[in-house]
Amino acid sequence: MDQVLTIGVSVLASMATLLLISVGLAVIFGLMRVINLAHGEFLMLGAYAVLVATRNGVSLWIAIPLAALAVGVFGLVVERLLIRPLYGRILDTLLATWGLSLVLVQAVSIAFGPATNGIGTPLGSVRVGGYSFSQYSLVLIVMAAVTLVVVYLLFTRTSYGVMARAAIQNPAMARALGIDTARMNMLTFGIGSALAGLAGALLAPVAGVVPSFGQAYIAQAFMTVIVGGPDVITGTSAAAGLLGGSYSLVSYFTTPFIGQAALLVIAIVLLRVLPQGLSGNWRTYL
Amino acid sequence: MLVALLVGTLATDFQKVTLALWVIYGLVALSLDFVWGRAGIFSFGQTAFFGVAAYAYGVIGINLSPNTGETVTALVGAVVAAAALAAALGYFMFYGKVGDVYVAIITLAVTLVLLQVMTSTAGPQYHIGKAQLGGYNGMTNIPSMEFGYPGHPGDQMSQPDTYNFVVLLAGVAFFFVRVLLRSGFGRVITAIRENELRTELLGYDVRRAKVIVFTVGGAVAGLAGGAYAGWGNFMNPAPFSLPAAALIVIYVLVGGKGTLVGAFIGTVAVEWLSTALGGILPSSTTLVVGAILIGVVLLVPGGLTPLIGHLVSRIVPSPPRALRKAGVGGAVGGASRGQGLQTQGLVKMFGGLKAVDTISLEFPAGELHCLIGPNGAGKTTFFNLLAGRYRPTEGTILLEGRPITRLLPHQRAQRGIGIKLQVPSIYRDLSVQENVWLAAFAKMSSTRQAEAAVDRVLARIGLVERAGSPAGELSHGEQQWLEIGMVVASSPEVILLDEPTAGMTHEETNRTVELVRSLAKTATVVVVEHDMEFVQRLDAPVTVLHEGRILAQGRLSEIRHDQRVLDVYLGRTFRVAGS
Repeated sequence: MDQVLTIGVSVLASMATLLLISVGLAVIFGLMRVINLAHGEFLMLGAYAVLVATRNGVSLWIAIPLAALAVGVFGLVVERLLIRPLYGRILDTLLATWGLSLVLVQAVSIAFGPATNGIGTPLGSVRVGGYSFSQYSLVLIVMAAVTLVVVYLLFTRTSYGVMARAAIQNPAMARALGIDTARMNMLTFGIGSALAGLAGALLAPVAGVVPSFGQAYIAQAFMTVIVGGPDVITGTSAAAGLLGGSYSLVSYFTTPFIGQAALLVIAIVLLRVLPQGLSGNWRTYL
Repeated sequence: MLVALLVGTLATDFQKVTLALWVIYGLVALSLDFVWGRAGIFSFGQTAFFGVAAYAYGVIGINLSPNTGETVTALVGAVVAAAALAAALGYFMFYGKVGDVYVAIITLAVTLVLLQVMTSTAGPQYHIGKAQLGGYNGMTNIPSMEFGYPGHPGDQMSQPDTYNFVVLLAGVAFFFVRVLLRSGFGRVITAIRENELRTELLGYDVRRAKVIVFTVGGAVAGLAGGAYAGWGNFMNPAPFSLPAAALIVIYVLVGGKGTLVGAFIGTVAVEWLSTALGGILPSSTTLVVGAILIGVVLLVPGGLTPLIGHLVSRIVPSPPRALRKAGVGGAVGGASRGQGLQTQGLVKMFGGLKAVDTISLEFPAGELHCLIGPNGAGKTTFFNLLAGRYRPTEGTILLEGRPITRLLPHQRAQRGIGIKLQVPSIYRDLSVQENVWLAAFAKMSSTRQAEAAVDRVLARIGLVERAGSPAGELSHGEQQWLEIGMVVASSPEVILLDEPTAGMTHEETNRTVELVRSLAKTATVVVVEHDMEFVQRLDAPVTVLHEGRILAQGRLSEIRHDQRVLDVYLGRTFRVAGS
């Protein structure tokens, strides 16, 4: 029973991790159709922002939202300089953001050194019988759920959300209705970046902060959004649940590396069976 | 290749070691240029195939060559391993019909997972036979290339010999790719890159072609991987990293995408430059690579060679005209008077909406038939069900009495259904003649027959004078005829036309009437139309659809007076006023 509980927490934590790292990408890639290969580096910047803040005596709980904000602002700049000239040129966007990713990794490793910087995991651990798990896992799970709900409501229930989606789906029409599509896209990209920064910041205490931080997550994040399919938010959550769950279980019974490989194989096979992604035949809203 | 051998005679042995590496990298770039530049599939995976092959060479070489005295099996094994991985990956991606972007992402994911997996194999328990995988530190003591036989080990190749051998391998691979691209299959690859949908509707199996391309690309990258392991006697997971994959893309962009030979030129140029730069900025190579990537995309969007477009149009060969012969195609065509096309209880649901509601229709062989109806009547959905672009929720479709309900568009095309979509779907950058040639070749698979068919078709659609022009330069009406011509070129037994006169001038519509009526002499023709005048002039049986169901059938002259049809077309007001 105790073992089941701890496995349950670890499965949920894997799902939460996958959801957190994917939700920003779901906005940028799923919704805006912008391939941001530097998404992993946005996560990495979030983690470094937390590192810098905590080293300067800022409490972790304040550093995390600050990191999200900082990466969000960085995202606005990237959109303006790099993404905006390339809308509609998907492959060029891919190459340019790839270049950005390489530059960021190298720049950060020049600035901070290539070594791993640890941020102590806050809170203690809970003991259940002979097993224990970190309380921070519970924070991740709660934060993933909160983020999901906030993003869903933001894009479905607010006037910003409607205008943002209008600007993406039919820019000409949106402009005719008086929506400043360029500003909308910039803002949406910024929100996606902030979500990435938040994920990186939240994961910083559990993963080592290294320049290659993003590489560990980028492939999983893209696979999750792709497997999620057209209903961006709900699909991505479902995919995060499915892939995160299988990764966690396979890792538990074998090794994390086989878990990684299993995640990828499951994702590829799923796409063969459901080319439209999990939500391909759903008729949910977003 | 001659240049490379010439350089080889001038270079010192030490320089040859580096040169061999550049040629090996160039070979990987060649594989990407083939897959991306020529077939339009962007792949991050070329370095993954390269890496897997290098490990395969190492594993086979370390285990076998001490006994067999050769590494040919290792090299072949390397190529096979890479090709097999590419084929498996290609099967899932292309048969799953995932989009171009997803191919990029999936290959990226595979590459990164390989990086993580191979990096984690440091422990002594990770070995295959006598070969230690070695984790991040890599696999060592991989044998150099040698050609002996059991009991008589060959001499392990010296470094200059390795250079010559690598150049030889690269030359063979290069010419193999060239020959492949010059064959009929090569033109199909170009066709897929230019317009995938049209190629599928012509009857080519796009999925299979892409898997073949991807597998060949994997094999070429694998050859490079095997050669690399034999060259350096060492392999580690570094090639699976993102910077390594980025370099290959840069080689191709710098050399000129789609030029093939540019892959080698780009590699040498970039490597030479980065060797020079490496002295100045030792720790920032990745930074420079990333910056180059951003700079190229933002500042020189077409790639560094502005001639690329020009070269591509030159490289795609025109079908040779020397073999033109009149009359060869005369025997082709002429529909057998069979059962034609039938639908039985066809239903298509979109969510809760019944777009097509239990339609049973028969289009007898060798007759012309029109489908009309107001907007939203389900005409286009029904058309797409016939064409195979949608799969029906219920019901069957029969061609000559045999079910084709579950066949894919290209399979239907092969069974003799020619499809023309509403929006002209042609290869804009290919000439009119090449467009028709591709269509004819889909069915005949003999270059000569196809060429004869081209002339016949061009005469029929009245575009003989425009044969050499790029299709994109034709007027809208001419593009519609060209597409009809492409449909006719494969001598289909059933021809499906979706609004063939959409956007045509009055004059052009008149010519189209004659063209469509002449089609009906050799095939069953189903026309979905909007333009009543056009339908009237076709003078054929008409089926009126409304809300996904058949509302009325008969000659237009009869249907015109049908009260229900008038209601549907003119709306309720008319009925209120009329009753």
